[in-house]
Amino acid sequence: MEFKELDPILHSQLRLAVVSLLISVREAEFTFLKEKTNATAGNLSVQINKLKDAGYIEVTKQFSNNYPQTICKITKNGIEAFEAYVNALQSYMNPGTN
Amino acid sequence: MINKTSMQPDNFSPKDSLQLIDSMINQAKNRFSENGFLYLLWGWLILICSVGHFIFIKLDLFRHPEIIWASTWLAVIFQVFYLLRKRKKDTVRTYSENIVGYVWMVFGVSMGMISFILSKTNSWEAMYPLLLMMYGMPTFLSGVIMRFLPLRVGGIICWCLSLVSVVVTSIYILLLLGAAVIAAWIVPGYLLRKKYNQQNG
Repeated sequence: MEFKELDPILHSQLRLAVVSLLISVREAEFTFLKEKTNATAGNLSVQINKLKDAGYIEVTKQFSNNYPQTICKITKNGIEAFEAYVNALQSYMNPGTN
Repeated sequence: MINKTSMQPDNFSPKDSLQLIDSMINQAKNRFSENGFLYLLWGWLILICSVGHFIFIKLDLFRHPEIIWASTWLAVIFQVFYLLRKRKKDTVRTYSENIVGYVWMVFGVSMGMISFILSKTNSWEAMYPLLLMMYGMPTFLSGVIMRFLPLRVGGIICWCLSLVSVVVTSIYILLLLGAAVIAAWIVPGYLLRKKYNQQNG
């Protein structure tokens, strides 16, 4: 029976939620992620920076009608890490099949 | 929603992880962002233009009854500003919205090319069957991408009317155009608006 190691960057509820949302859409604003994850702005901001530093997401900051906008988009590395994470999870759910 | 009490890494099981992934993907997937506005704008505009054109010819009101179609240029300009504003307001952009956008862009380019080719080759009798066939293409594809049956039905009705229009040679062909936009854009447009209001209201 072999358990694959779970990526510590993704094995955190809020970071995993953000990546799961971003994998489903082309790009999303900070406000959308905040609304869907129900996280506080401060915590979400910290986790987004960790994902950005890991190279899993791209973050673009811009102004729209004088309001700052933070747009997040998953990267190729992020997609690969997510797929590897889901594969690793499957090894825990179905031990012996991987 | 996330349970804030267990926000630390490694503090949740693989089963919890899969449930969280499933829940987040579903939240993003079930989001419905099409409010039907552009379908209604173009549906009503083409309906008014086609019926107006028919009435002008029937009552012999103007020397150039086709001038009514010039109003579509105003709608094009309005649409550009509307889409720019919507793009700024949207908090998320999905792959399906992107693909639907390209489908309608291809439709716009093809319509422009068909008009140009027909005007250069003087084959105006083919115009209405081709227009109706073209209306069906993006409507049906949008219905497939958005998983919205009324648009698929509307697209099929356009193709049927395209075949019918080959045998309708009089000015009544203009009314077929009106019928096509009612089926393809106006009815689905109101249904899209209803669905959007239910999910976002």
